[in-house]
Amino acid sequence: MHPKGWQIGMGWGRIGLWVFSSAVIIFLIAPILVVMIVSFNDTTLFELPPVRWSLRWYGTLLQSREWREAFWLSLWVAAAVTALALLLGVPAGYALARGQFFGRRLLEFVLVSPMVVPVIVLALGLYALFARLGLIGRPAGLLMAHAVLALPIVIVIVGAAFRRVDAGIELAARACGASFLRAFWSVSLPSVRPALISAGAFAFLTSFDEVVLALFLGGPGATTLPKRIWEAIKFELDPSLTAVSTLLVGLTLAALLVVELGRANASRETHKES
Amino acid sequence: MDGAEIVRQLGWTWQSSLPEQDHKPWRARPGTMILGAVLFLGAVYLLPMLTLIGWAFSDPKGGITLAQATRLLTEGAYHTAFVTTFRTAIITTLVCALLGYPLAFLMATASPRARTLLMAGVIIPFWTSVLARSLAWIILLGKRGIINEWLLASGLVSAPLPFLFNSLGVQIGMVHVLLPFMVLPIWAVLMRLDQALPSAARSLGASPARAFIQVVLPLSLPGLVAGCVLVFMLAIGFYITPALLGGDRDITIASLIEMVVRDLLDWPFAAMLSLSLMVSVGTVFAFGALLIGVERLTGAEGRT
Repeated sequence: MHPKGWQIGMGWGRIGLWVFSSAVIIFLIAPILVVMIVSFNDTTLFELPPVRWSLRWYGTLLQSREWREAFWLSLWVAAAVTALALLLGVPAGYALARGQFFGRRLLEFVLVSPMVVPVIVLALGLYALFARLGLIGRPAGLLMAHAVLALPIVIVIVGAAFRRVDAGIELAARACGASFLRAFWSVSLPSVRPALISAGAFAFLTSFDEVVLALFLGGPGATTLPKRIWEAIKFELDPSLTAVSTLLVGLTLAALLVVELGRANASRETHKES
Repeated sequence: MDGAEIVRQLGWTWQSSLPEQDHKPWRARPGTMILGAVLFLGAVYLLPMLTLIGWAFSDPKGGITLAQATRLLTEGAYHTAFVTTFRTAIITTLVCALLGYPLAFLMATASPRARTLLMAGVIIPFWTSVLARSLAWIILLGKRGIINEWLLASGLVSAPLPFLFNSLGVQIGMVHVLLPFMVLPIWAVLMRLDQALPSAARSLGASPARAFIQVVLPLSLPGLVAGCVLVFMLAIGFYITPALLGGDRDITIASLIEMVVRDLLDWPFAAMLSLSLMVSVGTVFAFGALLIGVERLTGAEGRT
């Protein structure tokens, strides 16, 4: 226990702070838990707690071809987005962290700006472009659209990681005769492995959970899981939605776990070396 | 430690032994590695955005016109959407700040184990599908939702309370989605704050409250500003939550854009609305950058 110098002790203020913060955390977490519990209901009503527990809605989900197809489409689009975003974003993050070139700050600003541009605006612009190229309703169009959102995340995470790593180790590799690419591949990349894992996981989640672009650009031909969920919430609100949502939460937890494990591994290795 | 020092020396020696025109070869190359991302975003992001802006000012005959801009500025129906959007964004930002600051403060001062727990409570919702969370609010707060069923069964109310499909529903959903964007930047700034400063204030006789208000709070303002700017920017462009939890009267600019395209097929006007949204976001961003610098706004703080 190392109480920080500015802690206000365990007085009433501190207790009040804990009560308040716990309430905020409950506000954040409770809805997610409720959906998960309700998904094990046996009835068509959203009962809490369930009167009879069952896996009925998971069964419905598995048997539905529509849900299965939507799931597979989302899965492979998200995997392709992850690959593309890493392929383009990791070198870009490196360039922004190490490079000294004209307009670097401006480029950095432009490259991360899709993070704050309203997605509906991006969707509109891309719709016009893709309509001309015949990419509406095509998974390839979705892939590129989602990559626009995932790329800045990769650049920010990986760029920040490269900035934390001493450029001296790359220099040393070069001095020992490694080519630029060799030094990048065998020295720079392994030194930011946890960041690569988080960037990949978050790029995947960004695409897998994305709705607005999928609604605009998916058309009738490419229905991703979120698009299918959106339509179900809007038009039917059937209980298998709670089962899909639970699976989505499970996927998020899995991704966060992967990120956490990557980071824990890295810090263990650092401790071993020192 | 020694080994690292030796190779670094080696590196410098190697560097200084290079011919003059090839002075910084390890720096010449990194720049070129950005090309892939630049070309991709140039084609799939900048080009469509610029085309959209062009449409906002082009007339059917191919000339330049301000007709769309005039329409936007003069017709009352659109003013209502702007008022709704900004009112919702301001309330969301204020509520997020009020709920988020104390939580961020506790996270920064709690023991490592408690911090991990609190952090999980912020990060898990942050990355959970917005759709799953909207569905959760519908199940909880809908007319036949869990909370209304409980209230009716307990006899506290005689008719279900209208939580959803009005501005209250939008507000609840937006705060839920955007709260982590407030907590994380504040937390990041508080974590880097020099603990010696508030301790010094305490040891010089300041009460805990005074040490907080006069030392900790001013020093954490950059985090608060970053959080507010981020939440506000995201709130004015938000589409999903208002569309799922709002009612017919909660038309925001984002939902207006969708309606103009889908029902009226009026692309030039939708482009003008988009442009107004981008200008709004850009203004908020510039304002934040002016206050605390671009670095803090676009930084990776708390994101990893």
